Amino acid sequence: MRLNFIEKRKQEKEAIKRQKEEEARRKAEEDKKKNKKLLIGAAALLAVLLIVAGIGSLTEKNPGVSSNPPAAETSISNADTSSTTSENEISEPASSEPTQETDSTPEESQTATSSAVPATSFSASDIPAYSGSGAYVAINNNVPYFTDADYTTTAFENYSSLDSLGRCGVAYANVCKETMPTEERGSIGQVKPSGWHTVKYDCVDGKYLYNRCHLIGYQLSAENANTKNLITGTRYLNVDGMLPFENMVADYIKETTNHVLYRVTPVFDGDNLVATGVLMEALSVEDKGDGICFNVFCYNVQPGVTVDYATGDSSLDGSAATTPATGATTAPATQPAAGTTYILNTNTHKFHYPTCSSVGQMSDANKQEYTGSRDDLIAQGYEPCKRCNP
Amino acid sequence: MILIVCVDDDNGMMFNRRRQSQDRVLRERVLGMTAGSRLWMNHYTEKQFATENAPQINVDDGFLNEAAPGDYCFVEGDDVADYEKWMEKIILYKWNRRYPGDTHFSIPLQAHGWRLTRSTDFVGSSHEKITEEVYER
Repeated sequence: MRLNFIEKRKQEKEAIKRQKEEEARRKAEEDKKKNKKLLIGAAALLAVLLIVAGIGSLTEKNPGVSSNPPAAETSISNADTSSTTSENEISEPASSEPTQETDSTPEESQTATSSAVPATSFSASDIPAYSGSGAYVAINNNVPYFTDADYTTTAFENYSSLDSLGRCGVAYANVCKETMPTEERGSIGQVKPSGWHTVKYDCVDGKYLYNRCHLIGYQLSAENANTKNLITGTRYLNVDGMLPFENMVADYIKETTNHVLYRVTPVFDGDNLVATGVLMEALSVEDKGDGICFNVFCYNVQPGVTVDYATGDSSLDGSAATTPATGATTAPATQPAAGTTYILNTNTHKFHYPTCSSVGQMSDANKQEYTGSRDDLIAQGYEPCKRCNP
Repeated sequence: MILIVCVDDDNGMMFNRRRQSQDRVLRERVLGMTAGSRLWMNHYTEKQFATENAPQINVDDGFLNEAAPGDYCFVEGDDVADYEKWMEKIILYKWNRRYPGDTHFSIPLQAHGWRLTRSTDFVGSSHEKITEEVYER
């Protein structure tokens, strides 16, 4: 009996010892996992810091970018990124216009992936100052910053959470027929992106200076009123800058059914509420860029209007003492240098920037290229186009 | 030669050495129109016709120098201005959309005496309206 008791005590002690060893092992594993998470977090933070440092002083080196926001560091808000994966049926997109109006705000589901962060090689020095014409400029010889590891045929959409100032961050998707819309776009008018103002100018095509610009266009993402995908952008940024690229990608997908890696990075200077522009990168997957390959910076400017990027306030440029939407003639945003190239309409005696949409509608017989000063043209009896306002 | 070119609203043809757009229905239309003739193109353009059964296709990167009178030339990125004097007809396909462009169709048609003799709209496979314009001297 005594022996049984001793044996039993011995067995109990061994059991307790095994239990303690098991607990110690489990704790060690948990600590290891925690450390790994911390390391990943630190790496992500480091990547963000590198980007911010790389893009810093963007507008300091870019004085031509309208207005005069307070000089500060340039930032990309991308702290938290959410992810959604669309599984929509394929159908024709409803609209090519990535602007305006209302509806609900579909929010995200999963957590961020570090792949939503653009490569650190993007630097402010890659972005030329806005020249006064041209809605976009090629960056890194039009080669996007994706890596081989980014190639995938799995559809995804990642949208950064709004930062403390309510600003959008990087939007990154692998767009394809699955992510494209199956129904008409709804209204997005209830969304007020950071820096939003409803303001009209006669010199702006469609009057409204600001559009709610989808980072990833509705025709590609079917994201309607997602606040993480809408920024305050000028009409010029929306229609002349971003839309042509969205069109090209959308048509390519519809014709080939291929996938396109597509990333849009809004660039904010310091605490500004309005972005100075967006970096747009795209690369077709199945043909490794044979079909689609670009890397451009689209300027958030509007010819004829000065934008205060800190607040979103705006005014007609120059000394024109007119208020918005009065119908008065507006002065140009910047006085072009003497060597600027214009397209003349010898019939109507209007002159345009070469990128003006009116130029494409002009009869070839009436079209004439002219390089020289704006004042000389006006002295010759020519008037600036009210659409592009050269 | 009979020139075939696709352009956007800004007379753009390519961006970053890539075509602005393409359309399956447009290709079928071109192949139907050129059946029985020669249709010249370069190796880049050949890729978009790869799935079509088209014996009229002749591929040569210097095709503008090879084309004979009556031959069709599908041009995507070449500068055609130097070949204008050999052109009997120009067929423009307009996408009626705007794309980014850094290579543009360079012939000022009306200023150079080209007359629009026919204009036809049709629905593409991914374009709501494509306009086919035929110009002759």
